[in-house]
Amino acid sequence: MRRITSLFPSTPGHGPTRSRAPRLTAAAAAAAVLPLALSACGSDGGTTSSDGTWAPDRPIEITAPAATGGGWDTLARTSARLLESEGLVEQSIQVVNKPGAGGAIGWAYVAGHEADPHKLFVTSPPILLVPMAGDSEYDHDDFTPIARLATDYMVYLVPADSEMETFQDLVDMVGEGGANIGGGSGPGSMDHVALAGAVDAAGGDAAAASYVPFDGGGEAMTALLGGHVDSAVVGVSEAAGMLAAGELRALGVSSPETVEAFPEIPTLLEQDIDFTFDIWRGVMAPAGLEEAQVAYYEDLFADLMETQAWQEESVSLGWTDAYQNSEDFGAFLDEQRTAYTEILTEVGLQ
Amino acid sequence: MNPHETGSEGAAPLRPLGGSGAAEAAPDAGAGTARTFAFRNRTVAIALAVVAVGYLVLAFQVPEYTAVNVPVQPGTLPRWLGVVLLVLAALLFFQRDQSAADEDGDASDDAAGGGDAASPAEPLRLGRLRDPRLEVGLFVAAIVAYVALFEPLGFILSTALYLGAMTVYLGYRRHVVTAAVSVGLPLGLYLAMSEGLGVVLPSGPLPF
Amino acid sequence: MLDQLVQGFAVAMTPQNLLFVFIGVLAGTIIGILPGLGPMSAIALMIPIAYGMDPTSAIIMLAGVYYGAIFGGSTSSILLNAPGVAGTVATSFDGYPMARQGKAGKALAIAALSSFTGGTIGVVGLMLIAPGLASFAVSFGPTEYFALMVLGLTAVVSLAGRNLVKGLVSAVFGVMIALVGIDSQTAITRFTFDLPELYEGVEFLIVALGVFALAEVLVMLNRRGQGGARGGVTSLRLSRREMALITPPTLRSGVLGFFIGVLPGAGATVASFLSYSMEKRIAKDGDTFGRGNLKGVAGPESANNAAAVGSFVPLMTLGVPGSGTTAILLGALLVLGVQPGPLMLAERPEMFWGLVASMYIGSAVLLVLNLPLIPVFAKVLNTPKAVLVPLVVVFCVVGVYGLSFSVFDLGLLAPSAWSVS
Repeated sequence: MRRITSLFPSTPGHGPTRSRAPRLTAAAAAAAVLPLALSACGSDGGTTSSDGTWAPDRPIEITAPAATGGGWDTLARTSARLLESEGLVEQSIQVVNKPGAGGAIGWAYVAGHEADPHKLFVTSPPILLVPMAGDSEYDHDDFTPIARLATDYMVYLVPADSEMETFQDLVDMVGEGGANIGGGSGPGSMDHVALAGAVDAAGGDAAAASYVPFDGGGEAMTALLGGHVDSAVVGVSEAAGMLAAGELRALGVSSPETVEAFPEIPTLLEQDIDFTFDIWRGVMAPAGLEEAQVAYYEDLFADLMETQAWQEESVSLGWTDAYQNSEDFGAFLDEQRTAYTEILTEVGLQ
Repeated sequence: MNPHETGSEGAAPLRPLGGSGAAEAAPDAGAGTARTFAFRNRTVAIALAVVAVGYLVLAFQVPEYTAVNVPVQPGTLPRWLGVVLLVLAALLFFQRDQSAADEDGDASDDAAGGGDAASPAEPLRLGRLRDPRLEVGLFVAAIVAYVALFEPLGFILSTALYLGAMTVYLGYRRHVVTAAVSVGLPLGLYLAMSEGLGVVLPSGPLPF
Repeated sequence: MLDQLVQGFAVAMTPQNLLFVFIGVLAGTIIGILPGLGPMSAIALMIPIAYGMDPTSAIIMLAGVYYGAIFGGSTSSILLNAPGVAGTVATSFDGYPMARQGKAGKALAIAALSSFTGGTIGVVGLMLIAPGLASFAVSFGPTEYFALMVLGLTAVVSLAGRNLVKGLVSAVFGVMIALVGIDSQTAITRFTFDLPELYEGVEFLIVALGVFALAEVLVMLNRRGQGGARGGVTSLRLSRREMALITPPTLRSGVLGFFIGVLPGAGATVASFLSYSMEKRIAKDGDTFGRGNLKGVAGPESANNAAAVGSFVPLMTLGVPGSGTTAILLGALLVLGVQPGPLMLAERPEMFWGLVASMYIGSAVLLVLNLPLIPVFAKVLNTPKAVLVPLVVVFCVVGVYGLSFSVFDLGLLAPSAWSVS
């Protein structure tokens, strides 16, 4: 296998996936055994220089609390790869997958490294929703927010030949008790909240909407194409191909302003429905980081997002830049939790 | 689950508790594996019934889902499964044990081409304990120990330890080969997995 | 269409793309042989290499990894009873008995030939009827999937051998294991004992490795003789009669596998099991299935490769992934700036036809690559048991860890093995 990868000396991917992942204690022990291997190994906390700035002195580990290939993994690997290839970090960056329990396994892993500034993880709405469902011991308060990076929005889809024209038509159908609406995740999770919140804001009965969970947005759209559900709620980037091909049509999008790729899709706000929903993506760290450490990573990710390479890749992945620094991101998370709680209470899931 | 369960009744004379070689040879299509020990249908049936009852108790503790109307409650299918298992256990209880002769008859064609008939010089089976049940227990315990040490010691150390110890215990006498395999294989695998594929195997106290 | 196919071959035959086909199928085969690591992990692990490549070359390579892994998985199924990937579990039913009878070479040769044939049937299907099949794929709704699952479970009856009750008991246990975790319809946890590790259920392949590979190892412990199945392992020549015997099942299962693969949510695994039970039922000598019947190797091997190709239909024509593996592939394509979907055939014909052409080439490469290696692989069986037994355990452990990165899942291996021994 080594031979195969070495055929691509220029492949930037080689770095970020390198998997030497010494644990905290292991690294300390290792330093005694073989100082050469980890020449930069210092104290656990890294080095805070006299002017109050801090820089990592060991490889940085970014945890994706999911298996390889999903949304979290994509974010983790993309940012790790770009941080290295753009020369923004001096340390190497490793992506570690800790899948399971909708993220809870990965969160527990990171939470176990309190105050370790070399352990980051990528995050999105499930960090709020999974603990609310009682499926994770840790919630967002147990971590240090670093930065919000990007966001995506939800579209509410119907087949191209559907009679429904506006989101209100869908709400009316819900009111008549006849709407099956598919989504890509389980009840009480992201897609369901995005649906229920919108229906509720439009004056409909969110609990009456029959939400049908599928295994991913792709399956939900397939079911919609086959006429097995009446509508589907899916991320814009996932639906892009179908929308462009005209197989499916969007009744509305959950963004505050129309999205660049599909200016013809009206936002819910434009339809006088006071609701927006963000599929935000960001980076968090264990609890107990020092200010200088947080500041280092805030700047690091802000710099990353200004690079040409990030701009190109995030467009192809359907992400919209939505940077927030640690403090704003923290406040945003609190607001989001309140909003989700209200919606879930409305549906009767809280 | 497996037609060769009663294998030990046709036991080979030199092996007090194990199944006969023939009976063990064939992984069958349904269960895919042969049994090391044999149980009568009644014993199995009673064990199944106990499992079924335990499962039913758990199944009835699965909460009802009331927030939204769903066509099938999460507890429905498990409850039916428990009942079905109970019925199957009852059927099995009253089923006649297949005769040992019958079993050996059907298994012999597998063994015929097996080519592993023991030559007199070879030990009859691996391991050192008299009782094959203990042997299997020990083997499983070794796997458990290996898995338990997998993270604390890291992949390379735990694998080298496991490979070396098992190979020696199982009676392989060319210790140089054993040592080479026990050290070389984990190292090679680790490198291939981590450098080639980006799969993080635990490194333990080793610095790489 | 012929023009387009010629154009596709022009794309696929560039030295660069030929190299990527070769790398893809080779890497896939190696990863596939390792028990546990399947096409899903294989593709995810190869994605970093694909970054920065030309998108057409990237998908050609990643597709090669996919069907290469399914191909490679049969080797460990046959030699060690340790299925390399979930799609080759059914192959071990007859492949491993054949190996035990000293016919490992023959079994591997049959697997290679029927994989090649199944893959080719799949590619022809993909080429000729892909656009039309999109509507077939979406027409499958909950009712149809339910019917398919019932069909699958009743197939157990035909696999159960003589004792129907015991066959049904195993089926019930299988469903019970599958129920562990968070119910996808209501988000209520079932049988998890509050262990978060169980929330997402138990991976099929882990159970399969425990039940097949580790249990087999336990049996090996008590089996007479020190060597594995010795003698005759190297002969891979098939007689004309044997070729005639496996041809109909290979062709039938290839077609069946392709259509199953096209369905979102059903893939190589479902296809191989359905093919196995179909062949067993059709065959006059059905009662010898499970004891080294050639047709029991040919059918599933043809079906799983055809299904792997078939699962590209919903991906390429609808832009929706039909399986976990194609979902990862879709993610990779998006990163590379390609949006598969209904427009792809019109907008990027060179990619679609290049892929189709590369699959013809890839199947041939797999065959050429693997046939000479069979005697080498088969040598595994000559390894002294005292060495082989611990090695099988290690390979299973590495595979499972690479699949889930979890020691907990390793812990599940042992009870799976214990429960059948």
